[in-house]
Amino acid sequence: MWDYSDKVKDHFLHPRNARVMPDANAVGDVGSIICGDALRLMLKINPVTNVIEDASFQTYGCGSAIASSSALTEMIKGKTVEEAQKITNQDIADYLDGLPPEKMHCSVMGREALDAAVANYHGKSYEQAHDDGEIVCHCFGVGINKIKKAVWENHLTTVEEVTNYTKAGGGCQSCHMRIEEIIDEVWVDLEKCGVPRPGFVPTPLEGIKIATSTAPAPASTAAAVAGQSSASPYEAKVKAVLQAFNDGLPADGSEVTLSGIDGTVVQVKLSGPAGEGMMAEMTLTFLDKKLKEADGTLSVKRV
Amino acid sequence: MDSRNLGEGLGGIYLDNNATTRIAPEVVEEMMPYFTTYYGNASSQHGFGLPVEKAITKAREQVADLIGAAYPDEIIFTSCASESDNTALWTALWTQKNKNEIVTTKVEHPAIIDTSTFLSNHGVTMHYLDVSREGDIDPAKFEALLNERTALASIMWANNETGNIYPVPKLAEIAAAHQVLFHTDAVQAVGKIPVSVKDSPINMLSFSGHKLHAPKGIGVLYVRRGTRFIPYLHGGHQERGRRAGTENVPYIVGLGVACELAKAHLDELNTRVRALRDKLEQGILARVPECMVMGDEGHRTPNTLNIAFKFVEGEAILLMLNEYGIAASSGSACSSESLEPSHVMQAMEIPFSAAHGTIRFSLSRYTTEDEIDKTLEVLPGIIARLRELSPYWNQNKPAIAQADHVFDPDSQEVRA
Repeated sequence: MWDYSDKVKDHFLHPRNARVMPDANAVGDVGSIICGDALRLMLKINPVTNVIEDASFQTYGCGSAIASSSALTEMIKGKTVEEAQKITNQDIADYLDGLPPEKMHCSVMGREALDAAVANYHGKSYEQAHDDGEIVCHCFGVGINKIKKAVWENHLTTVEEVTNYTKAGGGCQSCHMRIEEIIDEVWVDLEKCGVPRPGFVPTPLEGIKIATSTAPAPASTAAAVAGQSSASPYEAKVKAVLQAFNDGLPADGSEVTLSGIDGTVVQVKLSGPAGEGMMAEMTLTFLDKKLKEADGTLSVKRV
Repeated sequence: MDSRNLGEGLGGIYLDNNATTRIAPEVVEEMMPYFTTYYGNASSQHGFGLPVEKAITKAREQVADLIGAAYPDEIIFTSCASESDNTALWTALWTQKNKNEIVTTKVEHPAIIDTSTFLSNHGVTMHYLDVSREGDIDPAKFEALLNERTALASIMWANNETGNIYPVPKLAEIAAAHQVLFHTDAVQAVGKIPVSVKDSPINMLSFSGHKLHAPKGIGVLYVRRGTRFIPYLHGGHQERGRRAGTENVPYIVGLGVACELAKAHLDELNTRVRALRDKLEQGILARVPECMVMGDEGHRTPNTLNIAFKFVEGEAILLMLNEYGIAASSGSACSSESLEPSHVMQAMEIPFSAAHGTIRFSLSRYTTEDEIDKTLEVLPGIIARLRELSPYWNQNKPAIAQADHVFDPDSQEVRA
């Protein structure tokens, strides 16, 4: 049998907020009886403050599906809709002290139900708000966008992992080649953001870098640092990390510049494509990781 | 009480005997000297080998007696029924080079189904017999699949999930009339229903020890005298050159005792245990609405009950049963590593609303009435509790004004 954490068992045997909420003003439905699990998330959102004042659920599914639903309602109650939407499927799994890898799709379902409920609150259906894109797995009706999102957020590298997170590929297996392609596509983008692909040897690109004129200028970085943070004891370490980091960025004008060190907070400016939209978050997360590798107390902040 | 660590000795109620069984204390007792005192090799030409050889001979007679084999030398000891099944499929192909088709059913155990998939990827033509909604097969359809290219027909004697008993003696006659070799996977039949291979033209039969209170790791392949045979495992002259490997003496001795006990308890299984199974079945049907028995109620092994609960998911039921120390099993996708419901339930065209909610209770001669009563006490509450959680169970639930979607158990929509 599945070796569930005590917290999963607790939330399964004593689910929180498992009830129908007749006066809910946001309802999110995901899953189906054919797929073996389905979740209805019911929310009461304060239209003035946008705070989720109450949350409840009904779930058809296995122990971890019920536990994930229960955990989700506990996590989002009292948060604003915007705060709640920052929760990832990994957060749900962490809240439950982890889920078996084969059961990660239960946490993904919880996260989708939240999206569906918010869409419903704004008067849209989940389908309208979320374009599934090309259907990749016909057995479980999983679209390309869901697979890409799971790969992107959880850094998945194998078809097996994608199946564990999304169910895609868990039936007739005829889509496994397509899923492999999608994984490769997403990793091309992830690697652009500086996320190293596990077990993947990147092609050396030094030759191309030297030939471009938009390579980061070390002098300007040093100049930016000079005025403000000469007193910081972390300066040498931070500069070394930034130097290595900038060298690793693609030669498309992307650059990270140090604007100061406030205690242990490294303040940086982002420019170029690595500083835009979703890329910015990736860049910062990765830089934060690199800084922490150099010194565990350091953290990064965009200014 | 640590419910994750329940065993027979800790008060657990074990209703998963089609998965494996408790080893009978008499079996353990008979096995022990062959771990300690009689450690000789049966092939040795000295005093250490002789008592071991005699013990194997006795066990072979006990096994032959249980399945009604005409001669003890028709019994080959293997490591498990999966090995026996693999051997049967391969030997039929190897000994008949002019034939490359195998006929079997859609509801076989993976030991046959997965081996068949492998064989069909390597040039063997497989024919899978359909089953009815009750899980039964039609002998006329079986006959229609046989031809001069058929190397083997392999039909299970009883199904592990539903307990359905197939008309194996009759099917063996049909196969013989077409000069087709016949094998049966009788893992779920031997020790539960009377089996007599000498009375019908069955060429090969597989079963394993751990389903009839012997330990895991010992199986049997019966090969009728006169059946052409090429071993699956080469490397020694053991089992008359038909299965290499030094005999697993303690387990062979244990299996022999277990077979003798199984024969002695066969009547009990078909009277007392059958009555307990029927009590459980009727009790559940009377107390739990919207559930159905899977399988052919008239033709089942006496210990097996497979019941599908609509609108709830099997793994959740198992987890809750486990909290009460009750062990059963489920054909639901979530209780295994596969994401699809069991191939047996799919072959029986089970409705969507019930496909993920099947629970199998399988009893043994150690099952008591008290255990069945306790199960009947807690099960209705568990199903009611899970249905209360399920969006598909709409009885007595208030409607939600804002919902733009109805959870319709009969709809075939697949939502992301």
